Amino acid sequence: MVSLSTQKQPQHRWTVRLFLLAGGYAVLIVVSLVSLYPAVIMLLNSFKSNSEILINPGGLPIHWTLANYANILYGSQALVQQFWNSVLVTVVTTLLSMLFSAMAAFAFAKYRFPGRNILFLLLLATIMVPMEITLPPQYLLFAQVGWINTYQVQILPFIVPVFGVFLLRQYMLSIPDSLLEAARLDGANEWLIFWRIMVPIARPALAVFGILQTLSVWNSYLWPQVMANDTGVAPLMVILPNLRDTVVGFLPVWGTIMAGCVLATLPILILFLTNQERFMQGVVMGAIRE
Amino acid sequence: MLLQVQQENVSQKKNRAPKKRAKNQKRLLAPYLFLLPFFLLFIVLTIGPYFYALGLSFFRYRGYGSATFLGLANYLSVLRYHVFWTELGNTLFYWAAHTLPLIVISFSLACLVRWKLIRGAKFFKPIVFLPNVFAIVAVSLVFQNLFATQYGVINQFFHTTFPWLESASLSRWVVVLLLIWRNLGFWFVVFLAGLTTISPELDEAATIDGATVWQRLRFVTLPLMRPIFFFAFIYDAITSMRLYTEPNVLTAGGSLAQPGAAPVLNLLVTNLNAGNFGESSSVGWLLFLVTIGVAGVIFGLFRATGEVE
Repeated sequence: MVSLSTQKQPQHRWTVRLFLLAGGYAVLIVVSLVSLYPAVIMLLNSFKSNSEILINPGGLPIHWTLANYANILYGSQALVQQFWNSVLVTVVTTLLSMLFSAMAAFAFAKYRFPGRNILFLLLLATIMVPMEITLPPQYLLFAQVGWINTYQVQILPFIVPVFGVFLLRQYMLSIPDSLLEAARLDGANEWLIFWRIMVPIARPALAVFGILQTLSVWNSYLWPQVMANDTGVAPLMVILPNLRDTVVGFLPVWGTIMAGCVLATLPILILFLTNQERFMQGVVMGAIRE
Repeated sequence: MLLQVQQENVSQKKNRAPKKRAKNQKRLLAPYLFLLPFFLLFIVLTIGPYFYALGLSFFRYRGYGSATFLGLANYLSVLRYHVFWTELGNTLFYWAAHTLPLIVISFSLACLVRWKLIRGAKFFKPIVFLPNVFAIVAVSLVFQNLFATQYGVINQFFHTTFPWLESASLSRWVVVLLLIWRNLGFWFVVFLAGLTTISPELDEAATIDGATVWQRLRFVTLPLMRPIFFFAFIYDAITSMRLYTEPNVLTAGGSLAQPGAAPVLNLLVTNLNAGNFGESSSVGWLLFLVTIGVAGVIFGLFRATGEVE
């Protein structure tokens, strides 16, 4: 179709088109470089000594060193404990929220029952309320039971995400009822229908939701900063910005911090590289409803 | 739905007579049992605390001893406190300064990649999306490294000494830059998926009718993309009101940003840390009202220019 309409066009149209095309690629290349550059800096600076970063913040390391990684793995700035704290909190929160959201989504998608619309509207109404409103009351509640600075306080408030119910319900609506009916005729009970039929079919949506939830829990900062900032249970994100040189002048130890940033990025990056399509689908599933 | 379920052949389903009355009893109960864990936890962990926070906001309560009823005094004292207005202004600034460029740039990029002559969309998509994968704390720290006054990459490269992060008026723009940079890929992917749902025949029909590129964008693409634009602006506004990590970590590392660059959530946190649970809660509810207001403005703007579904 393109060639059809251009055949009749004069020569200079082609030059204009060529310029536009070159411009288009130039824009894409610049955007790609800008997207990648900070990540490259992060990686390069994690191989420089703290003092080299001050002189040479943007170039290749002059003296490559693994001291920063040794430091966050075994040294005085070890982040191993916090890394595992982050992993534990993220994995447990994500799995629990997948289970609870999927069950609720199943009820909303595949049953008609009195109160369905009201309950769904209740969920819908909370979208606009900032979660942070619950910080003062949750602090009081968790202090009451002595759970400040625990894993529970980082996990519990995030295992019932409303958006998970919306996303999974949307997907389950597209699964034909006849499949469930057939299973019922074969004598399956409701839980088996959910667990053996719904969950396997909804796996793409569950994976997408799991990824989004993993991202959001992994990135948590404000909540654990207030609720669990003790180094024994705090996640990586809370400790990372506070790495200071305790010997010389209490300055940020940039090399070590950058190595810590790599550590904080690596698990999610691996997840992204192995699940690229699901990551981007997740974004889309949240945004486009048809 | 974008994801297609492989429809199994269910035509072999047999039409049997309704002989399972007893089973129906179980089916009536089932949805409530499926909802039970979620709603139980949701009431304890979300709805309950909302009301608790609402209650707290009318009391003076230090976390121990007895609470004193204050009426609206917490709200009034927050509203009279100049830092609240500075920080609310910052949050609104962060939203207003980044949302339009972010959405316009990501939409334009998506259009560019959809252009028939451009190859390699599969290659660019993950690269542009990548910043969204990095931990927010990590990229904020990397930006600190880039924009540091004496030892930063930017200042050393241009041989300048701009106090990017020390001066509140400059650091606010660095935060905006970070927000655009990190979220560009997210909306780019959303718009790209939206554009692929527009059937190519529509565009071709318009071309055959003699529509120019601009006319096709204005009269075919934009109207079809309206719901996505609406979603993008609303979603971005709601999340922007809760902004906290980026400005604080970028300008102050692990501590709180100075009032000139701090988002309004900082006031909730400082009150909480000081044990003023009532005032802290009232800041939260004021932020909710602001969120409703901002979403209302966006809704109004969309309504003024056409239908909103």
